[in-house]
Amino acid sequence: MSHDIVLKVIAKLLIPFILLFALYVQFHGDFGPGGGFQAGVIFAAGIILYALTNGPDAAMRIMPPRLLTPLAALGVLLYGGVGIATVLLGGHFLNYDVLAHDAVHGQHYGILLIELGVGVTVASVMLVIFFAFITQEP
Amino acid sequence: MFAAAAICILVVMALALARAFLGPTVCDRILAVNMFGTKTVLLIAVYGFLTGRPDFLDIAITYALINFIGVIAVLKFVEGIADSEQQPRPDEF
Repeated sequence: MSHDIVLKVIAKLLIPFILLFALYVQFHGDFGPGGGFQAGVIFAAGIILYALTNGPDAAMRIMPPRLLTPLAALGVLLYGGVGIATVLLGGHFLNYDVLAHDAVHGQHYGILLIELGVGVTVASVMLVIFFAFITQEP
Repeated sequence: MFAAAAICILVVMALALARAFLGPTVCDRILAVNMFGTKTVLLIAVYGFLTGRPDFLDIAITYALINFIGVIAVLKFVEGIADSEQQPRPDEF
């Protein structure tokens, strides 16, 4: 593992841009190809690249598995919470129009929030599955 | 112009795929698959411009990223297999 110096340096250079690209896909998903699921997968891919180059222990230090499971649930909670909030504000379930004074702004807020929930859940679940695979005894 | 480029890339992809199936060693196959992935990135980009949807460049970037990580993972896997076998490395490596 210690002789992969080129791989380590290249990964170190690439990972910030991978994570930035994930955020771009997340928040630009309304206007281009992308969205929460794809952004979550790309974000998890950045961490997986880190785990492949620096070893699983280093990756588990920056993304503790005990933190990932609550994060996976948090995303679903955010998604469902937006739906419940729209019901409480007087609309149907996931009817974003009531989230703001303006229907268009409400749609923007609603889509942004549920896509954020999808992204957080997908990234966490991808990493949980990856860690489960690399830590199991052969 | 873009159509001609797309057809050329498809021909190169077929050649890379043939090498991936025929390749006598593991390294040949991995290199062929890596090249196939790179050509896929080019094909997605060319197809995006062919159909007037430059948004496809985002997908091409993502594909390049996944291809890179996938090849690194496969190389680590092959390296792990080679290290776990006690006898000297087989001729394939």
